[in-house]
Amino acid sequence: MAALLRPACWLLRAAAAPYLPLSLRLLAGGPGRPHAALCLRAARARPAAGGLLSQARLRSIAAEKKNYLQEEPASSHRRNASQFDWALMRLDNSVRRTGRIPKTLLQKVFDNTCHSGSPGGNQALLLLRSCGSLLPELKLSERTEFAHKIWDELQKLGTVYDVSHYNALLKVYLQNEHKFSPTDFLAKMEKGNIQPNRVTYQRLIAAYCNMGDIEGASTILGFMKTKDLPVTEAVFSALVTGHARSGDMENAENILTVMKEAGIEPGPDTYLALLNAYAEKGDIDHVKQTLEKVEKSDLYLMDRDLLQIILSFSKAGYPQYVPEILEKITYERRYIPDIMNLILLLVTEKLEDTALQILLACPISREGSLNDFGSFFLRHCVTMNTPAEKLKDYCTKLKEAQLHMSPVQFTLQCALVTQKFDLAKVLMKALKEEGFPIRTHYFWPLLVGHQKEKNVQGIVEVLKGMHEIGVTPDQETYVNYVFPSFDSIKSVRAILQENGCPHDDNVFSQAELRSKAVNGNLDYILSFLESNTLPFSFASLRGSLILGFRRSMNINLWSKITELLYKDGRYCQEPPGPTEAVGYFLYNLIDSMSDSEVQAKEERLRQYFHQLKEMNIKIPENIYRGIRNLLDSYHVPELIKDVNILVEREKTDSRKTSQPSLSDLESKLEKLKAENQPIRDILKQLILMLCSEENMQKALELKAKYESDMVVGGYAALINLCCRHDNAEDALNLKREFDRLDSSAVLDTGKYVRLVKVLGKHGKLQDAINILKEMKEKDVLIKDATVLSFFHILNGAALRGETETVKQLHEAIVTLGLAKPSTTLSSPLVTLYLEKDDLPAALESAINCYEKYKILPRIHDVLCKLIEKGETELIQKAMDFVSQEQGEMTMLYDLFFAFLQTGNYKEAKKIIETPGIRARPTRLQWFCDRCIANNQVETLEKLVELTQKLFECDRDQLYYSLLKLYKVNGDWQKADAVWNKMQEENIIPREKTLRLLAEILRNNNQEVPFDVPELWYEEEKDSPTSLPSPVEVNLQKELLNACHRRRNKDAFNIFLTAKKQNIVFDNEAYARLINLLLMKDNSTQAMQVKDFAETHIKGFTLNDAANSLLIITQVRRDYLKDALTTLKTALDLDQIPSRLAVTRLIQACALKGDIESIHDIQKLVNGLEDSIGLSRMVFINNIALAQIKNNNIDVAIESIENMLTSENQTVDPQYFGLAYLFRKVIEGQLESALEKISIMAERLANQFAVYKPVTDLFLQLVDSGKVDDARALLQRCGAIAEQIPIFLVFCVRNSQRSGKAPVMKSLLELIPELIDKEEAYTCLMKSYVFDNDVASAKALYESLTAKNVKLNDLCLKRYAVLLKNAGESVPFTEPPESFEFYAKQLKESKETHL
Amino acid sequence: MAASAARGAMALRTNIGRPVAFVRKIPWTAASTSELREHFAQFGHVRKCTVLFSDKETGFHKGMGWIHFSSEEELHNALQQENHVIDGVKLHVQPQKPKALQGDQTSDEEKDF
Repeated sequence: MAALLRPACWLLRAAAAPYLPLSLRLLAGGPGRPHAALCLRAARARPAAGGLLSQARLRSIAAEKKNYLQEEPASSHRRNASQFDWALMRLDNSVRRTGRIPKTLLQKVFDNTCHSGSPGGNQALLLLRSCGSLLPELKLSERTEFAHKIWDELQKLGTVYDVSHYNALLKVYLQNEHKFSPTDFLAKMEKGNIQPNRVTYQRLIAAYCNMGDIEGASTILGFMKTKDLPVTEAVFSALVTGHARSGDMENAENILTVMKEAGIEPGPDTYLALLNAYAEKGDIDHVKQTLEKVEKSDLYLMDRDLLQIILSFSKAGYPQYVPEILEKITYERRYIPDIMNLILLLVTEKLEDTALQILLACPISREGSLNDFGSFFLRHCVTMNTPAEKLKDYCTKLKEAQLHMSPVQFTLQCALVTQKFDLAKVLMKALKEEGFPIRTHYFWPLLVGHQKEKNVQGIVEVLKGMHEIGVTPDQETYVNYVFPSFDSIKSVRAILQENGCPHDDNVFSQAELRSKAVNGNLDYILSFLESNTLPFSFASLRGSLILGFRRSMNINLWSKITELLYKDGRYCQEPPGPTEAVGYFLYNLIDSMSDSEVQAKEERLRQYFHQLKEMNIKIPENIYRGIRNLLDSYHVPELIKDVNILVEREKTDSRKTSQPSLSDLESKLEKLKAENQPIRDILKQLILMLCSEENMQKALELKAKYESDMVVGGYAALINLCCRHDNAEDALNLKREFDRLDSSAVLDTGKYVRLVKVLGKHGKLQDAINILKEMKEKDVLIKDATVLSFFHILNGAALRGETETVKQLHEAIVTLGLAKPSTTLSSPLVTLYLEKDDLPAALESAINCYEKYKILPRIHDVLCKLIEKGETELIQKAMDFVSQEQGEMTMLYDLFFAFLQTGNYKEAKKIIETPGIRARPTRLQWFCDRCIANNQVETLEKLVELTQKLFECDRDQLYYSLLKLYKVNGDWQKADAVWNKMQEENIIPREKTLRLLAEILRNNNQEVPFDVPELWYEEEKDSPTSLPSPVEVNLQKELLNACHRRRNKDAFNIFLTAKKQNIVFDNEAYARLINLLLMKDNSTQAMQVKDFAETHIKGFTLNDAANSLLIITQVRRDYLKDALTTLKTALDLDQIPSRLAVTRLIQACALKGDIESIHDIQKLVNGLEDSIGLSRMVFINNIALAQIKNNNIDVAIESIENMLTSENQTVDPQYFGLAYLFRKVIEGQLESALEKISIMAERLANQFAVYKPVTDLFLQLVDSGKVDDARALLQRCGAIAEQIPIFLVFCVRNSQRSGKAPVMKSLLELIPELIDKEEAYTCLMKSYVFDNDVASAKALYESLTAKNVKLNDLCLKRYAVLLKNAGESVPFTEPPESFEFYAKQLKESKETHL
Repeated sequence: MAASAARGAMALRTNIGRPVAFVRKIPWTAASTSELREHFAQFGHVRKCTVLFSDKETGFHKGMGWIHFSSEEELHNALQQENHVIDGVKLHVQPQKPKALQGDQTSDEEKDF
């Protein structure tokens, strides 16, 4: 028990700070692979997907796991990773909240891990690690048992154990005081072919020492020495324990001296071992002395260390000393979970009195709070069978201490949950004495427990107990909790009587009735109701009766019972009367059934209603309406008429360039000048050309010569040229001339910035500031790059020591609001003085920035310099300032980093050990990144070392950073040592850490001593034994690069080159190349790549997207048979092809008249239509089209007509869109078909009132310009004009394409009333704008305004932009916001109107 | 009356725009109706009071329930009060979102008729 709770809590808390999943996600892809990270993120966004996939599908996905595209569902690797996250999150949350893990939770996570298939190594580690002191509610032996169960089970599932797992198991043994033979353990490791490491030996020593076996410990120690392994503080601490337990306190004390001689200062752990040793002996004096010694030293014992001393005292039988240690506890909030842990542990160890003592000492805020504290203690006492009288006493004390508002009630609940009847009885009596009511339902949990086991005697006992306490069972108690355990209700009565269990006969018989009703025993109900003499209402029976009716098929009984209730004076005499009561009952009866149930029982219900009719039973009309609505919503309108006959009154209503050279230009200019023609354009061209050739001299001469013909563009280029040439004088003059030419002209942002830079550099400060002012006035666009440029201007000046320039320009930029005074932008203000070594001024400047802008630039550098120079006073000043302004914690971190940076590690250590300091992940990461960037190995190592005990510190993340730096330096030895340290600290590495470590080891040709978590996109996977050579990696990179840039030719050439050199890329590369080639319609090449990949990579298959693209390409090239095969292949792989691919294939088959293939496709995709997103009409349209192509026009027409007129329609006529068919027929000029179809459409409209087809036909005629035919059709079938919704959909669709304005116009001419619809005219306007048809748009606008139609903003905006682009004036104020704004506004307003 | 009853049943299905309070964290000691009804009666007429009851597996209720008031004003009164305490336990009371009621529930309605 050397270190009880600490490492465990630490690890878990550290391992999963809230930001963890995000960082995991972002970093999992590793640097340089941003897109992989993206994919991962996308996949995570749909966590449910994995759960819904079938096993078969998962397997197929696993087989093609690297062959992914962005839309591919989660692969098993990602599943594993997310599984780990999930498990970690669950366990971590528990530890964070409560300081422990409940057994049920661990069991759940364990079961889940097992179900996930092959649990990864770190998952196993996580589970094993949880089996120690994190389970304070379990007896020590049970914990170890659990650990063994996990170990064996996971091994069976194929988890590969490495030394870290063995070490974790050892830790669990130590924490659980599990007695085992270290030699056997070593033998077991040897059998598993695992080499023990330093941590293993350390823990084995601890194991010997815990048994007081110094000899055993010495043997291992000797072993470590021969292996040249370092002996750490942990070993010495163990030896302290070892000597103490062997009864030799003197030698235990001596270890500290030995340590010091060996050059290791005893730390808190060693002292804690000593303190525990004294506590176990009950030696309070020595404990106190040692504590004083620690206090005087630099060391610091935390609350949880003190808690351990308490535990040692308690377990050794010296609870009398506990208060003295309790006094020293600070009760920091963060230690509350540890305290809870200890309390639970003490209860488990049957030391509950001590546990209560600690609980009562907790300074929980008590006043006015309704939150209870101590429930965990009470619950655990109940679990551990603490005597009832003791518990009662505890409850009283907790209540007196105002820790808990209702401890007895809570304890009672625990007793009920755990079926502890005796305890429950005592507690209920106690409650009763205190004046609380004892309610019937308190006994239900107990009854439930017996009911599960059909324990009749148990139930009788509970009923007796109820009587004893004075509670009478109610109907519900009997019906739900008593009767189900007995064979018959008769036997209940008998047994109760036999056992002297009194019962209220009335309650009992009503309960019996309800019970019979619920079981569908209508015979009983009827006879009961007939013979009943007790008063009771129909309503009280209604619920049960409904259930009974639904369970019984005997309609005669239904009717008889209903009749009895209706007619018998005993039941429906209260005011609403029988008509209403029965009506309401019928309503409820139908309402309680599902639609499918009503459909299934339609005939029975009909019979029932008719029988009721015969019995002359009536129901009120309003209730009938309710029933009618129900039946309607259940799609059984046929029953309505049967209910209708019951209505009281018979009144129903059931309806309803090639460039010229410089000399060419020059001669041309002169010629034009000589001819006295305008030369502006040519002059500008010439100037631009000179600028691009960087010929400043000549450009300036030319400008001087033709000054009067200079234009704005020429000046702009010239100004820029002068800036580039650092010619401030001319640049400034040109700028002035430029302004004189056109004072409103604006330069590009970049040119302004360059001007500021040059002017500033040449001391023309005021001019530079004027430029900045102009930028503000003319509202020049400021981009991120502009702000960065400002920084460079300032920083350059700072490095040159130009104080005034820096200050004034910074001031101007900030006050003008051109950029925000960020830390970066303001850092030159401090740099200025740092460069001059003027530390007081640097600090002053930083503080000044804070006062002005609330930022503290370069404070770290300032502090480092102050420390280096030993400027104590200034340091104090800085720290006071930071502390006051940004809080003490920030100050401590600033100081900590500064000490680390300057190599003052001792001071750094003191800072980070300040009580109350906690991890600030972003700051720590900032410093880590800084160390990595500057390759400061020692500094980073120290950071990691010193933060070991930092509260909530993400250790894995820090080690990860350290490994990153080791990787840069190729230092595998140190990396390997990190692995050891992580085990020592009991950290569970994340997968990315393990992968990084493995990478470093492999890169240096070292064996990887653990199972590397596979990465789903990992390159190495294809050649696990040999790493890809740089050539391969580079080629692949080039290939991916080319794919990314959509350069299909380059990409394919790279493929060919690689192929020649026999280089095989990974799945991903091929998948991307194939996709690109298909997208570029290069199916031959795509197939070539596919063939190569298939022959070189086992299990290579195309994914969903690639197969879909392939189908589209094959269709386009008219390889329909191949396309069909591809579709089959994709579906066999459980892929979901795209809607476009399937649709194209179907359409192509139809145009060929290939009905058979369409049917094949229909069968293939059967059941997947919704997943693919196929419209039902696709098959209908295309089969008909194929039939027409085969000259089977009549067959096509007949089948369509059948579909639309038959009883069981598969598609609602409203959605029966035949537009595609009509369009193809019209396009194909299939006149005879068109005629017949037209006849069919008209017939459907005229005879069957199905207007959708005729309207579609009409619209297609309009769409294909056959306006006269359309008009004729409209005249024949006037109802078309009423199909406004169909027209509106047509308008909206057409307005999204260009060139459709004429079609829309024709439509509006034919159906003029359409213009009144907002959708219609807005679409029309959109079309005109699309087609740039200003005249029509104007006409439309005018006609609308004439009608006083108020156009919406989006429409006005469109019109305004059209006019503006055409150079015309806008006759109204243009809506100022963007299109998106108005589109959104419109959408929202429509939604609110819904 | 029956008409309103039928409408009531409809409302039970849809429960839109009804003055209903959704109560959570009901202590296990409070039974489905009496204690809750008694408590909420101080704010107005409680038409109906249901507790998502009796997990027949455990014998405990789920700690959630609905209080149907007669008017919005009464519901408002109830929501205005900061602390609702039953058996020493603070309840969470919030307006019911317009959503269909679902689940196995026992109702006190039967006793009221």
